Amino acid sequence: MENLKNIEINPLKTSSSLGAVIVFLGVKDAVVLMHGSQGCASFDKVTLTKHYRENIPIYTTALNELGAILGGSDYLKAGVKNIADKINPAFIGITSTGLSEVNGEDINATFNELKKELKESGSYENLNMAYVSTPDYNGNFEEGYKNAILALLKEFCKDTKNTANTINNNLAGLNVNDDKNNIRNITDYKNSDYKNNNGKNIQSIRANVFCPFSFTAIDFLELRELLEDFGITPVMIPDLGTSMDGHLDENGYLQTTSGGVDIKDLKTIGLNNLNVIIGSSLKGLIAPVKEITGLNTYYFSNISGLKNTDLFFKFIEEISSIKTPEKYKRQKKQLMDAYLDSHFYFLGKNIAIAEGIDILDSFSEIFAEVGANIKIGVTTSSSYENLKNRFEILTEGDIDLFGELIETDGNNIDLVISNSNAEYTAEKIGVPILKAGFPLIDQIGHNFKHRILYKGSANLVYEAANLLMKNS
Amino acid sequence: MQLKVKEELFDEPTCSHNIQKKEKKACKTAVPGSSTGGCSLDGAYIVLSPIRDALHVVHGPINCLGNSYNQRTSESKGNEIFYMYGMTSSINENDLIFGSEDKLKKGIIYAVNKFKPKGVFIYNTCVPALTGEDIGGVAKELAEKLNIPVVPVSSQGFSGGKNLGNKIAGDALFEYVIGKKEPDIDILTDYNINLIGEYNIKGELFLIKKALNDSGINLLSNITGNATMEEIMYSHKAGLNVVVCSKALVYLARKMEEKYGIPFIEESFFGLSSTNNAIMHIAESFKDAKLIEKVKKNIELKTKKIQKEIEPYKKFLTGKRVLLYTGGVKSWSLISALNDLGMKVIATGVKKSTEEDKNKIKEFDANGNIIMLDNGNPVNLIKMIKDEQADILLAGGRNQYTAIKSLIPFLDVNQERGNPYTSYEGVVHLGRQIYLELNSPVYDVIRKAS
Repeated sequence: MENLKNIEINPLKTSSSLGAVIVFLGVKDAVVLMHGSQGCASFDKVTLTKHYRENIPIYTTALNELGAILGGSDYLKAGVKNIADKINPAFIGITSTGLSEVNGEDINATFNELKKELKESGSYENLNMAYVSTPDYNGNFEEGYKNAILALLKEFCKDTKNTANTINNNLAGLNVNDDKNNIRNITDYKNSDYKNNNGKNIQSIRANVFCPFSFTAIDFLELRELLEDFGITPVMIPDLGTSMDGHLDENGYLQTTSGGVDIKDLKTIGLNNLNVIIGSSLKGLIAPVKEITGLNTYYFSNISGLKNTDLFFKFIEEISSIKTPEKYKRQKKQLMDAYLDSHFYFLGKNIAIAEGIDILDSFSEIFAEVGANIKIGVTTSSSYENLKNRFEILTEGDIDLFGELIETDGNNIDLVISNSNAEYTAEKIGVPILKAGFPLIDQIGHNFKHRILYKGSANLVYEAANLLMKNS
Repeated sequence: MQLKVKEELFDEPTCSHNIQKKEKKACKTAVPGSSTGGCSLDGAYIVLSPIRDALHVVHGPINCLGNSYNQRTSESKGNEIFYMYGMTSSINENDLIFGSEDKLKKGIIYAVNKFKPKGVFIYNTCVPALTGEDIGGVAKELAEKLNIPVVPVSSQGFSGGKNLGNKIAGDALFEYVIGKKEPDIDILTDYNINLIGEYNIKGELFLIKKALNDSGINLLSNITGNATMEEIMYSHKAGLNVVVCSKALVYLARKMEEKYGIPFIEESFFGLSSTNNAIMHIAESFKDAKLIEKVKKNIELKTKKIQKEIEPYKKFLTGKRVLLYTGGVKSWSLISALNDLGMKVIATGVKKSTEEDKNKIKEFDANGNIIMLDNGNPVNLIKMIKDEQADILLAGGRNQYTAIKSLIPFLDVNQERGNPYTSYEGVVHLGRQIYLELNSPVYDVIRKAS
């Protein structure tokens, strides 16, 4: 629909380069370098700083007009060397931008040249880098995020593809002991130092876990805790839980990311046992991740709400051969109770959501279960086909269109769910707004809002119900 | 006709740095691998987007506007406000191949029909500038068709930094907006001035306006906090221009002097003495004894009042040590305010300061010990704060985490500041905020628990 008006008014979309920047912020001891004019990095830095309330280590190659016309490879090389010399990070994540790509330059070739030069110089052995092409006139945030993950895999997984490592199961009827010829015994991975909460030795499985950006830091951390309780060590790519949760490091101010996935874990992901991919926006990762790692790959569009969280726990039980700990059984009962208590407040109420595909998916999953009527949805791409039946109206567009759809419908909305840029829209129709997604710059602590799995789904319905209650 | 940044924008006869340069280029170009400052688009958008009844359309891929909008701290009041809207043509690959001018035209026509603004600003960006899109031509065509000013701004980011962007914006106003309308007679008084570079952060414009009005001075047009297209169009009727922010907009004041004969002075409204001096200098420029007398009386009254109000804070703050790290005018003008509060300024950042700014710093430095900090990278700042035993860092939001992660008290004095700090009331606010921050138990509590 936005094509009809030829202009974005209060965009919901953000750029592919920003998606890539965020992935690289989920790597440990990392710095991000944007190859383009200094503005690209500056605008991203400003928004990310306000969103995360953290220092964001993002740098620019400061490409100017001359460089854009004659070729920016010198700028890229100089930029990397400058950062390596001054800051000495373990990892530099490089993205392109509209400016650096529009003249058709082969930045990948420059990147490979640079790697060779640095290797030959012998003085940058501890430096690792990855490059992803994200020209901003192409694609959107989710694609940039996905492509940056692929760039990390392609860069670091070259020699670790190992088909003998896979646990040979399929999702329907998981049974680890099915085919003895094809499975390596899980006990081979037993990490004798690993003990669970009760002090019992349990086997350790290592899983590569790919989560969408819609997960807050606390979502990442809760998922990690959950997997570890089942004896599964997750290697999260990216790991935005340990890097962007907002914590005071012992060393105070740091010039690189203070957490994130370790490079040495990235280099050995092919030696792990399986891949788990979560999020509609990451569906496109299934085939390439499987190909690159050679591991069995499992995909969940979301792990929210009762049904889908149950499915996820069933999967984890099968993979790990461990029964769900009591803690999580209780959380399931708490979610059921939350649904019963809160459903009264959703009867006959209409919700409108303007968000990226992952939040659209995971939130509508929960609201459909609890009986809230999801009237209007606006999102940032056209790949929402599988969600159409949950909404009365669902379309790609911007926040201005979102407001128009609500008005055309007679302002019959009781709750708006969107990011900080929709504040004015909600105010205009006099409706409460539950803020989620990106950017969230007019509130703090949102990275602590847990809204997935049993506990998080309960949080969400309580939060929404309270806003509806107050407004009745 | 491709929009290029004018050569004359790089030539600034009132800037001593620029005079010495043989090759005229934008100041302080960023180095590859540097932590980043904003581009020309950022600078231009900052200056122009507070114009509240115009639409501001960024012509470029989604990231130029989409990644960072609706974050303005410039306040607006009144009817017809579009400041909460971010608009962009969002160029995609298709537009690159087939040309984006048509899309831009259609998009603006749609938006103008929907919002009925008093004007439109079109901001050019790197990609369409490089591919030779004719923003100037589009603007001309639309201005004729829509019968409102449509201003092309050659703000493509690769030309330079924020400073250059400020100038480009000033130039756009001069070419397309200023002087395009005559005001109604009853708006003009005997003493009309314009402010240039006042963005009404946290309502600071309203405080300055009050101080001016109390002294009998009329603020004819503000460029550009809370401004309307109309008031900027008739700003050529003022008797004096007062430049309150970056050196970059002196360019605009100079052009207005050349064309309309309006003299200009550079002043600051941070601090009691600065505010008093500013108002006195404005009065003196009108060479009217009556006005000067009125201003003198008003200054006396205000000074007494404010000194009384800052007394409780001054008691606590006297002798406390502050490191000031901010840009341009604020690097010296805030020293005046901090002096009013009895605080000792250890150092001030001069990375973005001109020779004139540095001389002004020396003026406010009674004992000659203020360190002029050129390199304000976070590691340096933290070291200096610890070495010089500064009690608090006053800087921009970007350095908030530098400070608090090192358990150093902090106050934001840049565009994201939480309170107004200009004019008379501003000094009291400043004193109060520093006082509150230095009395927060949080730093000690964490230090003890570490």
